[in-house]
Amino acid sequence: MSMTGDPLKRPSVLLIEDEKGLAEEISAELQSLGYRVQHVDSVAEGFSAARAGSSAIMVVDRMLHGSDGLSMVEALREEGVKTPVLLISALSSVDDRIRGLKAGGDDYLTKPFAMAELAARVEALLRRLDDVRTTKLRAGGLEMDLIEQTVMRDGTLIELLPREFKLLEYFLRRPGRIVTRAMLLEGVWHYRFIPETNVVDVHIGNLRRKIDIAGAPPLIINIRGAGFMLHAGA
Amino acid sequence: MRAPEFLRSSALRLALAFAIAMTVASSLVFGLVYLRITAVSESRVRSILEDEAWKGANYSDEEIKNAVTQRLTRDLRHLDYVALFSESGTLLIGNVGKVTIPADGRSHFVSEAPRTDPGQKSEPAILVARLRPDGSLLMLGRNLDEVFTLRRTVLQALVGAIGPMLLMALAIGAFFARRESRRLIHIHDTIARIMRGDLQVRLPVRRRPDEIDRVSRDVNLMLDEIVRLLLQVKNVSDNIAHDLRTPLAVMCAKLERGLAGSDDHELRVATRQALSELDKAMMTITALLRISEVESALRSSGFKSIDLSAICADVFEFYEPLGKARSVAMVLDARSPVPTLGDGDLMREALANLIDNAVKFTPEGGTVTLSAAIEAGRPVVRVSDSGSGVAPGERDRIFERFYRTIRNDRVPGSGLGLSIAAAIAKLHDFELRVEDNRPGALFIMSGRGASAKAPP
Repeated sequence: MSMTGDPLKRPSVLLIEDEKGLAEEISAELQSLGYRVQHVDSVAEGFSAARAGSSAIMVVDRMLHGSDGLSMVEALREEGVKTPVLLISALSSVDDRIRGLKAGGDDYLTKPFAMAELAARVEALLRRLDDVRTTKLRAGGLEMDLIEQTVMRDGTLIELLPREFKLLEYFLRRPGRIVTRAMLLEGVWHYRFIPETNVVDVHIGNLRRKIDIAGAPPLIINIRGAGFMLHAGA
Repeated sequence: MRAPEFLRSSALRLALAFAIAMTVASSLVFGLVYLRITAVSESRVRSILEDEAWKGANYSDEEIKNAVTQRLTRDLRHLDYVALFSESGTLLIGNVGKVTIPADGRSHFVSEAPRTDPGQKSEPAILVARLRPDGSLLMLGRNLDEVFTLRRTVLQALVGAIGPMLLMALAIGAFFARRESRRLIHIHDTIARIMRGDLQVRLPVRRRPDEIDRVSRDVNLMLDEIVRLLLQVKNVSDNIAHDLRTPLAVMCAKLERGLAGSDDHELRVATRQALSELDKAMMTITALLRISEVESALRSSGFKSIDLSAICADVFEFYEPLGKARSVAMVLDARSPVPTLGDGDLMREALANLIDNAVKFTPEGGTVTLSAAIEAGRPVVRVSDSGSGVAPGERDRIFERFYRTIRNDRVPGSGLGLSIAAAIAKLHDFELRVEDNRPGALFIMSGRGASAKAPP
């Protein structure tokens, strides 16, 4: 097992997936990011592994060998298992999604998806937002005042449109974490579809022009094939 | 093989029920006639007797003796009873023995009225006794033989008729039931043929349709729709095959070329290119699934009162920076609320696809306009651009899945955005069409129904 991080520091993921190929890829992706992955391929094994409670997050396929991953999650929630669950499914309608979240899933990913998307969402679930009551968010020389609705960079006030403010807030709340385009569409615009043109990139470009200073490294960087990340240490 | 099938059928049960119902009804009628006839003839006898006794009681001795004698001589059939008793109870004249009925002048039924003639047997009769002024007793009566005979005749007729009637009812019932049963068997056979895959046959519908014909007609309409959908599915799978095979073939070629070369850098480039082809294929699949999802969704439960103006403003805000980045002027005209019933998320998606399309096809310096309004009581949304427009011959087909226009080849995307918008419009009972914007294209999405009442 090759790991880039400290195996004890990185949390363990319980993967319940019966499609061998997909399971291998998910395991490989998560392991390459330093997670420990425990893979089982049936509801029964999933139950016992989840009850053991050693994993920090579960990735559950909604359909397992014809049985229902959703009812498993539901049953676990009733037993009081609170481990966050990322559901993956071939069913993508809004109703299916809502049913998935109602059953106790914390996030829902529709096949086919990019591995980077899965990784970003696993990370987002593991690191819940810090304190939501925070009134000030900071990154590098940037400071956002949530009460005054103002943004300062190195003491200079930056004028942002309301949506740009929301977009920046989304990044500031997730410093150093990969944020995908789909996550931004959902979290900032509440869109459940991916537009054909990359409009999100245009919005990010506009935001960057306003918050970056010439000569300094950009605050928000592109992560190839995945999305964006706010440079935590910048 | 039809006969046993018929015997097992509900048609037979129907025939039996019909026969029984007929029989019960006729028996009731007969019974009523029987009761009425006997009651009427008996009551007539009673009133005549009472009347005669009343008159006779007041005759003089001479008159009554004459009358009694006359009646005795005329009574050849021994139907009449007549007698005059003295005050002490001895029979003065007549043909009845002593009977104990009250001398109240009212008719009484006597089951055995005694005859004085030794050759006569006692029979049931109705008798009236009345005291005369001198203390003697006049008794008149009539044998009930006639009434009883009538009664028997009616009863025999009833019993005799029930059998044939039952048979006839059975026959009529069976005839109709069999006819219906035959129709159903025919329908059953036709459906069996359809289920075996012969989708061209249809259920028979007569010129003057009854309930079964109406159901058959509905089934036929359903079959037409199924055939249409099957064709559509076939077309779509043909198109999917085409649209996925192309990127797959490109991918294959690129990867093979990359592997065949000895240069690692070349392989990386090839892999990256293959991945972008794969992205395209995934986008196509996602869009296709999205269309069928919307098409199979039920208009209904999720629908709420939504404001198309607000949704336009929201989508406009999302796309405005894109327009600016491409030097396309963006204009929004949605000042007053346009309420309608629908799914806000889907409507947003439809409008986003229309604007996405408009911005894509508008050259630098052009204009894209988005407007929402209530026109003639109906909600209307317009998206216009100043691009190359859509040729008249293509205007209907542009919303079809995979319809290739020259437009599509120049721009990125699955080319399915308009199909998604059309599917969403249809789900909302909106019409989506494209017109000439002189220059450019004008997409009009308008509700077929009246605009919903503004939420209170």
